[in-house]
Amino acid sequence: MPSVPGTPKSELLRGTLEMLILQTLTAQPLHGYAIAQQIQRLSNDALTVEQGSLYPALERLLQQGWVTAKWGESPTGRRARYYTITASGRRRLGEEIEGFDSALLAINRVLRRV
Amino acid sequence: MSLIDAFRHRLHVWLNPRAHERELQEELEFHLGLERMQQTHAAHGTLSELDARALAKRQLGNITYYSEETRRAAGLGLLDDIRSDVRFAVRSFRRAPGFAAIAVLTLAVGIGANTAIFSAVDALLLRPLPFPEPERLVAVNITAPARDGRPATDDIGWTYAKFDMLREIQPIFSHVTAYFSTQFTIRIEDDAFREGGEFIDSRYLQTLGVTPAIGRNFLAEEDYVGGPRITLLSDAFWHRMFNADPGVLGRTMSVDGSEYTIVGVLPDGFQGISGEASFWIPAGAPPSASWPLATTRDPWNHINHVVARLQPGVSMERAKVIMAQLGAQVDARFPTPANLNGLHLGATLRPLDALRVDPRIRRMLFVLVGAVGLVLLIACANVANLLVVRASGRRPEIAVRLAMGAGRGRLVRQLLVESLVLALAGGAASLVIAWCGVKALGSLEVASVLRYQLILGLGNEATSGINLDMTAFAFTAMLAIVTGLAFGLVPALQSTQFSVTNALKGEGAPSIGGLRRLTSRNALVVVEIALAIILLAGSGLMVRTLGELVAVRPGFDAEHVMTMRVNRAADWARDSIAQFYDAAIDRLSALPGVTSVGIADCAPLSRGCYDRTELVRVDQRGTGAPVRTMVGAHWITPDWPATMRVPLLAGRMLTRADGRDARRVILINESAARQLWPGESPIDRPVVLNIDHFKQDTAYVAGVIGDVRFGSIDSLPQPDVYVSYFQSTFTYRMMLFVRTRGDPEALAQAARLAIREFAPGFPVYDVASMQDRVGATTAQSRFIASLLGAFAGLALLLAAIGTYGVISFGVAQRTKEIGVRVALGATRGHVVRLIVGQGVTLAVIGIVCGLAGAIAATRVMRSLLYGVEPTDPATLFGIVGMLIVAVLAASWIPARRAAGVPAVQALRGR
Repeated sequence: MPSVPGTPKSELLRGTLEMLILQTLTAQPLHGYAIAQQIQRLSNDALTVEQGSLYPALERLLQQGWVTAKWGESPTGRRARYYTITASGRRRLGEEIEGFDSALLAINRVLRRV
Repeated sequence: MSLIDAFRHRLHVWLNPRAHERELQEELEFHLGLERMQQTHAAHGTLSELDARALAKRQLGNITYYSEETRRAAGLGLLDDIRSDVRFAVRSFRRAPGFAAIAVLTLAVGIGANTAIFSAVDALLLRPLPFPEPERLVAVNITAPARDGRPATDDIGWTYAKFDMLREIQPIFSHVTAYFSTQFTIRIEDDAFREGGEFIDSRYLQTLGVTPAIGRNFLAEEDYVGGPRITLLSDAFWHRMFNADPGVLGRTMSVDGSEYTIVGVLPDGFQGISGEASFWIPAGAPPSASWPLATTRDPWNHINHVVARLQPGVSMERAKVIMAQLGAQVDARFPTPANLNGLHLGATLRPLDALRVDPRIRRMLFVLVGAVGLVLLIACANVANLLVVRASGRRPEIAVRLAMGAGRGRLVRQLLVESLVLALAGGAASLVIAWCGVKALGSLEVASVLRYQLILGLGNEATSGINLDMTAFAFTAMLAIVTGLAFGLVPALQSTQFSVTNALKGEGAPSIGGLRRLTSRNALVVVEIALAIILLAGSGLMVRTLGELVAVRPGFDAEHVMTMRVNRAADWARDSIAQFYDAAIDRLSALPGVTSVGIADCAPLSRGCYDRTELVRVDQRGTGAPVRTMVGAHWITPDWPATMRVPLLAGRMLTRADGRDARRVILINESAARQLWPGESPIDRPVVLNIDHFKQDTAYVAGVIGDVRFGSIDSLPQPDVYVSYFQSTFTYRMMLFVRTRGDPEALAQAARLAIREFAPGFPVYDVASMQDRVGATTAQSRFIASLLGAFAGLALLLAAIGTYGVISFGVAQRTKEIGVRVALGATRGHVVRLIVGQGVTLAVIGIVCGLAGAIAATRVMRSLLYGVEPTDPATLFGIVGMLIVAVLAASWIPARRAAGVPAVQALRGR
């Protein structure tokens, strides 16, 4: 499960991992390991996904048709599976971010921060 | 397109779950490899290979868990579960092969019988007619109200003039056509033979939506009286007679003595709406010798069948309303004397599809579908019973699973998978049985049973179409799944619903108890017995019907008689036909073994073959209006009654001396004598008949002969008159009846050769022994009686097995109780009575329910029965007796076993 280090009980919101994956794929097709690295790096190591949980999430995205997978050659010369975001995946990402933003706003309102 | 991407991915996963698995493994390997490198790199080479690997694995997390999760996300989780359920089921069945074999066999028989009958129903009733948009094709008929004691009819054909008018005034059809089907004499060199053909117009093929495979259709400008002599051939006829020669167009063929030019060949399989046509000729072609144009164009001959194609968007209901109005208009234009009495003809239409099978056949198939359905229900009940028994043996296993936290839904699913595995195995095995059944259904006898009854012949092809095709396979698969769920659900729900603790302690099963404790199982047996009673009642009634039919004395002696049709050759003058009669009788009588030869226009029992005419009594001058009545009219040579051994009851037979110039004389049958001259002697009474010369010349009754059934075997004899061919100009129909001392079949070839010798050009056809003709009339009843009998026997067997299973299981459960009873002084007799009594109680409840069901269900069979009422007490009493015997036998065996158990052993428990 994706979790924020130091706060073991606070899990990422449901579906957040999928959103993060889609976001990392917007720039270029990546393989699984690169996706994990990317998420870790972009969040300044604040968000560490347990790497294994990436694969069920990727499978779910494939099932929805939001990403496609293709076997290709990695820079090290080994066969790797590259994931590409689809047009509908991008649309979905937009919706997710919008939903996430409004949820965040709502939570902040309840916490009287805005 | 996310849908397409998603679909492609899912397809990939489902079609090849193994590849998906491999890919995931490879991907995880790749991931671990990179992570290991990463870790090694981060530790600046201080990490051992082993440690790096461990660290990488820790980073990734629980690999097995995530693999599972991924599979689940891919939708393969359920597949995994079901696969393991199936494996488990197969393994457990292998441990109980007897149980599995009986269950699979039972289901195979039930499903197989259903598939076979379904194939017939599909071919005869369900499959659409082989024309484009067949639902728009209608048959249009003239209707007549009831009069003179004759019921109303709605299946009268059209005169050509009425059809012409209809065609001009109708606003609802896109095409409308008329055809008339008959037999023609074809001559090719020395050979003359009869072939079915249809008189049609240029719109016939257009209406049906058929286009010639070779050549052309008739043209609209060829549709006129006296138009060209042209013909279209069926594909089969083209192959048979012309060797499929593509150069056949433009050649000629002799039809009834006239040469017709071949202009086209129709597609393979098309046999006309009559189902019997080998060729088609224009209705307006110039008259031929045997079919004067007057016959189709006669203003009072309602013999043209009208078929039309509804315009798109015209509903059947609206078409019917408009057709009724059109019928009234046609009736107004063509008045009849009956109009004076307020009787008017109308018109109606119905889907062409409705006419392809006789209503009796439809009813018969309906009864058979019901019967096999019941067999399947009984089979399901039996297997459900087996499963319940098995489940109670598995109580500890199920209890352990429940106790260890298996969800009830999961267990129910597993039990359902078990029953589905059984059902699918049964379904697969059933294909063998269905194949045999279909072979039997497609066999000659059945085909003739069905063909004999087809109205338009559209089903002709359908009978040969009875086969196991994809539709039948789909039906079997569906049936297997439905039955699997049907018999599996109740046992599955029931066996997973009990107290875990009690079951684990072994207290789940009742140790004492009679009927009340085994309710669901008893209910299943009661249902089986009730259903078996319904089937037995149906088959009992059919067997009785068959017995009655076979016992019918048709009024003649069919043994040792060969029959064959002949037709006058076109070039044989009608006036000298008497020479043919004399020659035929002389030549055939001279054949070895022949004792007597007669000619008649129709064979007995040939349904609507014969003519009817009006007879007027003219022996009651001055006593008011003369008695008029409709009688069957038959043409015979004087020796025909003797040849058929129809007895002379009064007066004399006709003789060769009763010729064209002699006084006109007739024979009447017993029914006519009784009806026309009750209590008087009919001999020498004068009558006028409405047939050729007899219209002008008074005829005198020469003699009275016994009644002969000319219609069907199950219709009572009607008043008939017999006229000598030698006193009439009638030459349309002739059938030779040859009585021989030996085997009539052996005579056929010799008779055929003899006729060809003295009368070349007279086609000989429809050759059959009189016994075969009699047999054909009961074929339908024999067919349904044997099928229902087989189904009922099966039902009885299954019900007996079911009863045996329940009673013997009950005995096993009650061993302890029986031990106590024996210890307390119960005799063997007591124990046997106790157990058998249980079976009898079940049987009585089942019989009461079954009889109620049988009385309700067999009513639909009324039209198939003869000489027996659906509620015939003797039949019902007989089948109840049979069932009681079966149940007694089924409970006697376990009862004997129970009584034989020594008390001590029983008390110790097993």
